[in-house]
Amino acid sequence: MDLGLQGKKAILIGAARGIGMATAEVLAREGCDLAITARSEDGVKDAVAALGRYGTRVIGKPVNVKKADDYKTWLEWAVAELGGCDILIPITSAGGGMGSEKYWANAFEVDVMGPVRAVEAVLPTMTEQQSGSIVLIATTSAGEAMGGPQAYNAMKASLVTWGKQLALFHGKDGIRVNVVSPGPVEFEGGNWDMIKGTMEKFYNAQLRQQPTGRLGTPEEIARAIAFLSSPAASWCNGSHLVVDGGFTNRTHF
Amino acid sequence: MDVKRKVDIIRVNPQDWPDGTPAQKEEEPDLGHEMIPAARYTSEEFMKLEWEHIWSKVWLLGGRSDDLRSPGDYICTDIGKESVLIVRQPDGSVRAFPNVCLHRGNKLRPSGCGTTEKFRCMYHHWVYGLDGRLEHIPDLDSFPQGGPPTGGLPNYPCAEWGSFVWFSLNPDVEPLADYLAPLQQHLEPYHMERMAWTRDITVEWDCNWKASVDAFSEAYHVQGIHPQLKWYLDDVNVQIDCYERHNRYLIPFATVSPRVALPSAIPPAIHDIMVKAGMDPAEYEGRVSDIRRDVQLFKRKHGLERGKDYSELNDDQLTDDYHYTIFPNVSMNVHADDVMMFRQRPHPTDPNKMFYDIWMFELVPNGSEWPERPKHKQFRHGEKSIGSVLDQDAFNLPTVQSGMHNSAFKGLWIGDQELRIRHFHKVISDYVYPDGKKPGDV
Repeated sequence: MDLGLQGKKAILIGAARGIGMATAEVLAREGCDLAITARSEDGVKDAVAALGRYGTRVIGKPVNVKKADDYKTWLEWAVAELGGCDILIPITSAGGGMGSEKYWANAFEVDVMGPVRAVEAVLPTMTEQQSGSIVLIATTSAGEAMGGPQAYNAMKASLVTWGKQLALFHGKDGIRVNVVSPGPVEFEGGNWDMIKGTMEKFYNAQLRQQPTGRLGTPEEIARAIAFLSSPAASWCNGSHLVVDGGFTNRTHF
Repeated sequence: MDVKRKVDIIRVNPQDWPDGTPAQKEEEPDLGHEMIPAARYTSEEFMKLEWEHIWSKVWLLGGRSDDLRSPGDYICTDIGKESVLIVRQPDGSVRAFPNVCLHRGNKLRPSGCGTTEKFRCMYHHWVYGLDGRLEHIPDLDSFPQGGPPTGGLPNYPCAEWGSFVWFSLNPDVEPLADYLAPLQQHLEPYHMERMAWTRDITVEWDCNWKASVDAFSEAYHVQGIHPQLKWYLDDVNVQIDCYERHNRYLIPFATVSPRVALPSAIPPAIHDIMVKAGMDPAEYEGRVSDIRRDVQLFKRKHGLERGKDYSELNDDQLTDDYHYTIFPNVSMNVHADDVMMFRQRPHPTDPNKMFYDIWMFELVPNGSEWPERPKHKQFRHGEKSIGSVLDQDAFNLPTVQSGMHNSAFKGLWIGDQELRIRHFHKVISDYVYPDGKKPGDV
């Protein structure tokens, strides 16, 4: 199956490691030009260098999503430099945390306003070209208990609702919006790698809940994201795809 | 070294802190690469040599000065078969003498600490003063030979330093200050006298006392025994310094080990360090690798307003573990806000057993009330948890001890990261073999 990604222009936010980096890699391999960002300057530099091996155009600069003006400037730069935008995938997250009200502000700024500002930035271009694909990244923690009551879970949940509204509203302009909710994903330097090292019992409890006895890999999430972002998924709009190896208990009717 | 990343730990420039704890790296002694004989841990003969040349000769940690606030306050402490009373005198000094009645051998006090006006033996009411002198023998006229000619209990050398009280069974022991040197300059800036007891536990462990000292003398075992600490401290960039008979290492805390990938989220244990310092981790905008430095700066800036005077400590001391071994048996994790220390005492007769005293103290902020002292608890290994990290050490040591009896195990194969263990055994040899080690000596 040809995904039809050759020559597409994709913007990825939070793409220097983990699921973001793996998604960038799939898209580059499929022939997309990429504009990527993350907070760490070294991280972006290394990612741009690594992604260059697929021969497409890869550009990147670091930005802190919480700094709205810098972030908007980056988004304008990315659209202008790429000469448009066919695919938008905002992945960046402030992560979890309990015990401080500030976690709500962080999750709102990064997990919610990160995607909101990115979508606002690419909608004019996508509307003008009457095509575009946006994939938002939520989490299985939005739908089921994980790690206690946290801003992260609640804020990520809002993306599922908002994604559907976007799909309904912009569908007429050929813009598709879908949501992917990954289950626990493990990679070196990721949260679950640290949890495995620091909270072994909790980690093992999660493994027992996984039908296959392991956590997901960034690549397994990336392939699902890449599919939904691609023209091959032309009839997927407003969908919410749970990619968790069967981790969640709920039946997704 | 098996690492995933190269980490450059920034340490203070020793010259910037001339009056405080010396931070400079000492030249490493050349102690060779010989195997350390397993018999040192298993043989009763070597245990006897240790008693004769170490335990009965050197200064030993007896207790805390703040348990001896007023005249008549006393501490019982045991070393080997000897039980010792350490007592605050009316003139403010401290004295130590055997905890035994010269009449029929009963202990004057069973254990623990307390306060008294006299030491009256429970058995026949022989009475000793706070200085150990015999003051009254009931029915003295029924002893035709009179009372013991010594007139009471002999005093042992006893002195205070660093909020602790020390004693020696050796009447000819050198002055305490000479014995402890140069650690006074190292430890006094922490002002341990401003710290209060938070934990006082003795656990009976099935291992030789040196196996315990060894376990707290190297960070090489973090990857095997404490994997979770790799997201808490740097077990690779460890500075080791050996002094005449004591030694130390400096371990950066609030940082992630080069043995694992750097996470983007703040590790739970480092999160707790930030909260304890008064920071809100949710507000933190820096990278995980910047946290150690930022905690130092935060504590430097906000210490006084939190009632904590860190003025004599260098920046590294505000986060890191300055870990000292005071020969022979005191291991101290010294931190700006707390001290977690272990006194490792040999069993009276069995080289395969020991007493592991856990003493913990916390800085009492200025203006706060001095907290109530926790009661001493004693139990056998495995009966109760002593905390997840110490449990990990504790569960490992009995298998180390039994393994050392294996005929295939001749001795300890020590690497550079374990230099303190080699130094420890060098000091033991200096004491045990004062005329030099001869062929056949272990």
